[in-house]
Amino acid sequence: MKKIILTILSICFLFTATAQIISNLVLMAKPPAQLSEWGSRREVLTLILNGQGVPVTQFKIKAEIKTTDGTVVGSVDLARAAVLTGNQAGGPTILFASDVLPLEYMNFTGKYKSALQKTGKLPADNYTLCTRPVRPADYAPLGEEQCKPFYLASLQLPILMKPYNEELLDPKKAQTAILFRWSPVVPAQTSPVTYRIQVFEVLNNQSPVQALRSNQPLLDKELLAVTQYIWQPQLTFVNEKSKFIWTIQSLDKDQKPITQTDGNGEARSEPIVFYIGTSTKHD
Amino acid sequence: MTKRTTVLLSLICFVCSAPHAQTKPPGFSVSGTAGITYEGYGLSRSPSGWTGYTARRPWNQVRFNFTPSFKFGKDFSLPFNFNFAAVPTNFAGPYAGIKNQNFGQFITNPMNSFGLNPKYKWAELQLGTQYLKYSDLSTGDIGIFGAGVDLRPKTWRFKFFTGISQEGVNYFAGPPTVTGAYKRKNWMVQVGNELEGKYLFAVNLAKGKDVPASASPPPTTIKPQEGVVISVLGNVYVDKIYFKGEAAQSTFTKDVTTPTTTLLRGLKPFIEPHTSSLTDFAGQLSVGRKSTNFDIGLMLKYIGAGFQTTGYPYLQPDRFDYTLNTRFNAWKNKAGGYKMNVVASAGRRVNNLKNTALKANQFIANLNWYTQFDDHWSLNINYNNFGFQSASGTNPYGIKNVSNDLGVNPTFTWTGTKIMHLVSLSYNYSKYDERDVMTGLTTSNNTHTALLTYVPTYLTKDLSPDFSVLYFYNDVPLAKVKLFTVSSALNTNVAKKKIRLRGQLQYTLGKLNAFSNNNNLIASCNIDYKITKKLSWNTFLTTNYYKYGNEITPVGANYLESMCRTGFQYSFDTKR
Repeated sequence: MKKIILTILSICFLFTATAQIISNLVLMAKPPAQLSEWGSRREVLTLILNGQGVPVTQFKIKAEIKTTDGTVVGSVDLARAAVLTGNQAGGPTILFASDVLPLEYMNFTGKYKSALQKTGKLPADNYTLCTRPVRPADYAPLGEEQCKPFYLASLQLPILMKPYNEELLDPKKAQTAILFRWSPVVPAQTSPVTYRIQVFEVLNNQSPVQALRSNQPLLDKELLAVTQYIWQPQLTFVNEKSKFIWTIQSLDKDQKPITQTDGNGEARSEPIVFYIGTSTKHD
Repeated sequence: MTKRTTVLLSLICFVCSAPHAQTKPPGFSVSGTAGITYEGYGLSRSPSGWTGYTARRPWNQVRFNFTPSFKFGKDFSLPFNFNFAAVPTNFAGPYAGIKNQNFGQFITNPMNSFGLNPKYKWAELQLGTQYLKYSDLSTGDIGIFGAGVDLRPKTWRFKFFTGISQEGVNYFAGPPTVTGAYKRKNWMVQVGNELEGKYLFAVNLAKGKDVPASASPPPTTIKPQEGVVISVLGNVYVDKIYFKGEAAQSTFTKDVTTPTTTLLRGLKPFIEPHTSSLTDFAGQLSVGRKSTNFDIGLMLKYIGAGFQTTGYPYLQPDRFDYTLNTRFNAWKNKAGGYKMNVVASAGRRVNNLKNTALKANQFIANLNWYTQFDDHWSLNINYNNFGFQSASGTNPYGIKNVSNDLGVNPTFTWTGTKIMHLVSLSYNYSKYDERDVMTGLTTSNNTHTALLTYVPTYLTKDLSPDFSVLYFYNDVPLAKVKLFTVSSALNTNVAKKKIRLRGQLQYTLGKLNAFSNNNNLIASCNIDYKITKKLSWNTFLTTNYYKYGNEITPVGANYLESMCRTGFQYSFDTKR
């Protein structure tokens, strides 16, 4: 009888222990593909813990990233994860990605580990993130598990199509109009992308990238959701062979670079060179 | 700024006067150029307050170039390479938006170069701004201000350079916004063995590291970074056959403030891995044969998704390209030359080899086929295809964009007693198909361009005019653009051939859908005056007037922009 009472008391204790922290996980549906970027952007992930009037004491966050079939591809190593302290005033405790998913204490499996090490990203797919506060000593649950799905696919910036690299344009035609074409941002975005097309003249003593990084562009135009532009240069191409470099900068709905941590950080596509002149390739 | 310019100008004057010094040592010579160019730009818009057209050049700019090369005997040379401008005009890269630059920023701004390369036999000291290309996958696109050496004893190669590629730039909310940048220190080294025209084997190492405390306030988007790349390079040439290959590994930390990690090996001891570090491979291989009348080559290039190097800041990763190139001459003429020349390439690029994004496939093909049938007729045909295909994410249809261009250009020439005539007709058809990812419908964008040119060359007069007429038509759903251009140019020499004059006049009538016509008139003029054998004065003037139709408001909007560029160029060579 005494054992039964003790067992019931233990179950009741455990039940109150697991139910004492209410958590609410807020996660972007399409977070940045670069996992290390989650930690520096607070809007990506927020975990709110509420002790229901009781101050949340010390705890760790058990976090797992799963594929849609439930396979765990990455998890926090609880033995190495930092012990967190809740809001002692009794209010909610707010955690961000750097607390919930500390990459330095996470283990990934197989191809996910390889992809993360090489690219800083997981393979493009649908995933689920599950979090649960646990006791630091024995990892016993201190609250319900919270899961949220998310979709990862890194952005591919436009690829410049026309004029193609090192194309020689006829000056008489180029003086009237030059056609520019590029591929769209992939995957297609929910908000229309603004493409900022820039054309720079390469001066005699400059390398193409040097010209791009130092000259005022002869064409600097923002275009909404189109991948072709007809430029009327209104210039006179009198030199034997003028050299130009062009690029596309992809901007989001706030007119900011669509990706600011990948590559050059300016969301500028790899630039290419074209010429305007009379000399032909068979000369 | 004025003080700096004055000091530099004084130095230029000193060196320009050096060739005339009486006490030059035996075997001493100086050659090179020095010049100054002023550019003025004006823009007048109407009606007042309308801002629909923005300035595209600095209002005033002064550029200096100074490139003397001193030679002391046959073994020692001292070349200078000074090119700089008074007003910063950076729109992209680390200095974008900067207006008032400090001395360090002025020196390292990519628009300025201050290089000095003293060389004694096989040893070269590299000082100041240097654009050094060690290889295609290590470093080559950025200028670095610093010091280094390029030593080439016998067949050995040892190169080392260290310096700063960008100074810290403070973030400024604007307007205009200055994104800001961290100061970046660079190091690079190459050790190798080379027998020119036979082989080259080399190992390269290039490193760039940002100084986190160098910008205050710091940039809000980009984080301080660090990157190292190691590459092995091998080129072999056997007769007409070449073989070039390079393999590289990079470790790049996107944010050095993230915690360090032991999960990544990276390129220790050159870089300490962080949780934001990536480590990946890249490689390229090209093999082919080159000769006078026939070239063929195959190029393969793989860039891993996590491959990144500070030496090529705009390199696009995560791709595999392969291209087959060829060039050949055919159809012998009576003089022993060839009537036909063909240049062609075909290849494919595949993105997303690591599956971190959506797979994209591109097919690229180019052809240029020129035939000189006889003394009168020639024909040039060119074709270009670029296809892009990818899934689009959660949308029902994938992305598919295909660009096709075909150009045909026959030319007829004949010679009279006083004039040689050339008539050239060029027609180009361009088609651009784009699929809507929501509906799956493909829209076609068709462009037709026809150009007729007549160039009479006077055999007895120093006069070369040309006349041309162009029609351009672009048709896309909801927009039809028509342009009609007439232009004429004239080249001549006057004042005993001391002055070369070139003038051009161009008028374009444009029409968008049913809106009223817009009008554009451009006039330009070049005056190149050879004052002495060594000193020339070159001037370029152009003006551009554009008046819109009623496709924009305010109706009747127009602008007049003008540009004047004038400069003196002095060439010197004490050997002459």
